[in-house]
Amino acid sequence: MNVQDENKHDYSELEDQARTLLTESVTRIDGRIRSRLNQARQAAVAEAGKRRRWFLGSFFLMPTAGAAAAAALVALVLWHHQPQGTFPVSTEGQMSAEDLDLIADGDGLDLMQDADGSFYEWAAAQSEAGVETST
Amino acid sequence: MSGFALASTYSMPSASHGDVDLSDSSARARTRALNQFLSGIELKAFKIAQAGLRNEDDALDAVQDAMLQLARAYADRPAEEWKPLFYRILENRIRDMQRRRTVRGRVMAWLPFKGEDEDDDLDPIAQAPSDDPSPGHTLEVAEAMKALESALQTLPRRQQQAFMLRTLEGMDVAQTAAAMGCSEGSVKTHYFRALQTLRTQLGSFRT
Repeated sequence: MNVQDENKHDYSELEDQARTLLTESVTRIDGRIRSRLNQARQAAVAEAGKRRRWFLGSFFLMPTAGAAAAAALVALVLWHHQPQGTFPVSTEGQMSAEDLDLIADGDGLDLMQDADGSFYEWAAAQSEAGVETST
Repeated sequence: MSGFALASTYSMPSASHGDVDLSDSSARARTRALNQFLSGIELKAFKIAQAGLRNEDDALDAVQDAMLQLARAYADRPAEEWKPLFYRILENRIRDMQRRRTVRGRVMAWLPFKGEDEDDDLDPIAQAPSDDPSPGHTLEVAEAMKALESALQTLPRRQQQAFMLRTLEGMDVAQTAAAMGCSEGSVKTHYFRALQTLRTQLGSFRT
């Protein structure tokens, strides 16, 4: 057996002995420690269960949440694409209201009549004058 | 009477004997697997933490934190990944506690009083007699264990960690490397140096 083999054997023996001792020391851990480790494990497992329930709950709620989000999106899009400007009905209504004011206003109508009359008189005078000059 | 009849006619059909809620049963199986995994490693993990921290209560806190962290963050990972992940978390926790202890030690050195574990009550369970049949053998083992633990405490942390994970936890080089967050070559180096130091300090001790 050369030195290298001897070392290997020594290390292997040391490993075995250390493993035996450490395993033995684990079995000798006292009740207080075991009890506290047990409590810690129960708390950790409960925590994992809680998180899993939350995850599964959110997974099952996902379709409902998705549908609600889609509905909200459609409503938003429709609201933003409403036709802009004034309706034709309201424009017509305005004009007819102006006409109505004009008709209802007696003085305005007289003025219009006067103005039209003077125009016709002027036109007639012009045509008469033209006839005279041509003759 | 008629109301009762109506209600029973239109009530939801109850689950028949063969119906199984798959999500619930798989979650329960996973929780059971986690419980089994943790119960399988908790004592060894405690020993490893104790070797690093040299204090039972600190070691318990470190193991507890590592268990919670694993359950919170990695319970959904494949079960074969749990061991390296757990020991990685535990190692980080041990290192944090060692750092904190160093800082606390520096602060306490400036203070005129010390308040360390003066009110430590004796636990009756801890004081319960052991049922070991041979007191002579117990004493020998206790002495050898004490010598090994003392020698382990002189090792640098990484060597100690490599040695404990390989020897006590029985992890292979790849798993140990994953747990320590280093290469497999580094694990081999740390482990071999640990063996050299232990052999020098202990010689060949017999149990």
